[in-house]
Amino acid sequence: MGVIEEVFSIDLPVGEQFRIQRCRYTPTGGETSKRISIVSGIHGDELEGQYVCFLLGEWLRAHADKIKATIDIYPAINSLGLDSITRSVPFYNVDLNRIFPGSKNDFLPAQIADGVVSAMRGSEIAIDIHSSNVFLREIPQVRIAKSQAKMLVPLANKLNIDFVWVHDAVTVLESTFAHAMNTLGTKTLVVEMGVGMRLGKAYGHQLLEGILNLMACEGFLDIEPLDVRMPIQSHVGEVAYLNASCPGLFVPAIEHCQMIEKGSIVGAIVDPLSGQTLDEVIAPIGGILFTLRAYPIVYEGSLVGRIFGEKV
Amino acid sequence: MKRIEIFNFKSPNRAPLKVEGFLFGEESKGPSVAIVGAMSGDHINQLYVASRLVEYLRQKEEEGKISGKILVIPAINSYALNMGETFWPLDKTDINMMFPGYAQGETTQRIAAKLFEALQGFNYGIILEGRRDQGMCLPYVKLIQSDYEDIDSARDLGMRFIHFRPYSPIETVMLQYNWQLWGTKALSVVFGKNGSIDPVSSEEVHGALVRFMVKRQILDTAVFEGFVSNIIEPESIMLLKASRAGIFDSLVSCGTTVSKGDTLGRITDALSGEKLEKIIAPIDGVLTCQYAHPLIFQNSIAFRIASVEPKKSITKSK
Repeated sequence: MGVIEEVFSIDLPVGEQFRIQRCRYTPTGGETSKRISIVSGIHGDELEGQYVCFLLGEWLRAHADKIKATIDIYPAINSLGLDSITRSVPFYNVDLNRIFPGSKNDFLPAQIADGVVSAMRGSEIAIDIHSSNVFLREIPQVRIAKSQAKMLVPLANKLNIDFVWVHDAVTVLESTFAHAMNTLGTKTLVVEMGVGMRLGKAYGHQLLEGILNLMACEGFLDIEPLDVRMPIQSHVGEVAYLNASCPGLFVPAIEHCQMIEKGSIVGAIVDPLSGQTLDEVIAPIGGILFTLRAYPIVYEGSLVGRIFGEKV
Repeated sequence: MKRIEIFNFKSPNRAPLKVEGFLFGEESKGPSVAIVGAMSGDHINQLYVASRLVEYLRQKEEEGKISGKILVIPAINSYALNMGETFWPLDKTDINMMFPGYAQGETTQRIAAKLFEALQGFNYGIILEGRRDQGMCLPYVKLIQSDYEDIDSARDLGMRFIHFRPYSPIETVMLQYNWQLWGTKALSVVFGKNGSIDPVSSEEVHGALVRFMVKRQILDTAVFEGFVSNIIEPESIMLLKASRAGIFDSLVSCGTTVSKGDTLGRITDALSGEKLEKIIAPIDGVLTCQYAHPLIFQNSIAFRIASVEPKKSITKSK
C-alpha cells in the first residue's frame, strides 16, 4: 500500500490550498535512498499520464512484495489546470514547463516548479509523462536533447515506446522540468503520447509495461524484465514536418500511425464557406505518420503531421 | 505619415489579421527607431501609449520636426486584443516567445518571422512590454545582457531605473534578445498593469520615448530632461513576500519612497475578515513593483523595493 504524502502546499486566497501530492511505495523494509519518480500533469490538459499513474499504482498495490526501492508517483503537478482543462497555471497563464527550476522568491508558478524540483531531487530516475496538446496526436515516444543522448537513450529503449527522438539542444528547453532534473543528476525521460484532453487506454497499458520493464532492469522491482518493443531511433532517418499552407478545416485522409508513401495524400484543407478544397497535404517523404493533427481548425503554419522516414 | 501594412495573415473564419505600422520621416535624414506595441492581448497600456505616440508624431511631422526614420507598430496580436485573450487565441502561444521566428514553422513562428523581418535595419528598437505576472510597476527599462546591449541609449530615455541583468533561457526566444543579436540596439520599457490603462505611467513612458528620439537626433523638439537613470541589478531589489493568502490591500503606490518600518500593505482572511498580516518595509528604498490583484496567494511577491544598498538576503514579510 502506498503512502500518500503532501510535498508542496501553498495557501490560495479563499479557503483552499494548492498542493502537490505523491503516493510513495517502499519495500517492506522501509524507504531506500534509491528512488524513482513518475510524474504527470505538468500541463493541465494532458491526461494520459494520469491513467499511467493509476495503472502503475494498481500494479504496485497488487505486487507490494516485488518492490525493491522507493517508487514515487506524482499524478497531478498542475492540479489547478487539470481540474479546469487549462494547460498553463491558471490565474498566471504561465506554462509551468517553461519556468524550471523555478524559485522560492518568484511568483506562484515558479514556486510550484521549485517545489517540484525539491520534492524529486535525489531521485535516480524520473519519467515525465505528457500527452501531446489538444491539437496533435502522437505515438508513444521519448524526446531527448542530443547532449543527453548517450545517458538517456539506453534507458528510453526500455520503455516499450515506439520512437526515440533525439533533437538538437534548444536554449529555451533549458527551462523544462526534464532539463532541470537532468542537470541535478536525475536521469529524466520525457514521454509524449496520445492527444490532449483525452485518454488512450492502449497507450497507457503499453507505457505501463515499459515502466515495469525499466524498473525491473534498473533494480526497482524484483521481477523479470518484460519483453518490450525496440523503438525506432531518430538518427537512422529524418523527420518531415507538414505545416498547413493556408487556413481552413483540415480533414485527414489516413489514420494516425500509418505507413505512408512519398507523394500520397495525408489530408485536405477545405473551406466550409465556399465548399472549395483549398489545398491537399502531400507526404514529402515516405515513412510512418507518427504525428497527426487532431484539432481540425488550422491557420497557415499549423502543424498537421510529422513523418519519420529514411534519410533522402 | 505613411500607414503601412506590415503583414496580413488569413484566418479560417475571422477577418484577416492585419498588422499595421506608422512610418514617419526618412532614413536618409538621420537615425532610425522602431517601436513595437502590444504583442499580447492584455497589453492595453502598451497599445494606448503606442497609438498616442502615432498621433503625436503625426503632428510633429506636419511641423517638420522629424529628423530620422520612425516606425511605430501599435498592435501585433489584435486577434487577442479583440477577444480578451492574452496569447494567440487558437493555440495560446506567446508571439514574444517565438523570435527570431521561422517562416516555414508554426503559425506564431511565422507571425514572429514576418514581424522580425519588418524590424530589421533599425538603429534602435523599443519594445513596449507589460508584466509577465500579476503585478504593476513603476515604468522601467529592461535591458538584458546579450553582449550586444547598449546601455548609453537606454539612459537617453531618462527613466528612473534601468533593470540590467543577464538573460534567462526563455528570453533567448524573445524579441529583445534576438533584435540585439541582429544588430539593433534594442531595449524594453516595462510598465503598467496588464489589461488596463494607467494614465500616469503612460504619460511618463510617452515622455521618455519622445526624449529618447530627441536625444538620438531622430526628433527635433524641446523636451525636459529626465532622470539620471539608476542601474539596478538583481541584487539591488528586495522582494517582500506575503506569508499569508487572502485579500490584499496595498497602502502605497509604485514609485513611493519608503522608509524602514513603513506599513506597505495588509492581508485579511477572505472569509472571516481576520487581520492576518501587515507587510512592513524592512529597508529604505523606492517601491518599484507591487502585486496588483485583490486576492493574493501565500508566498506571492507583494512588493519589490529598490535599494541603494545591495540586499543581504531575501526578506519575508513580517
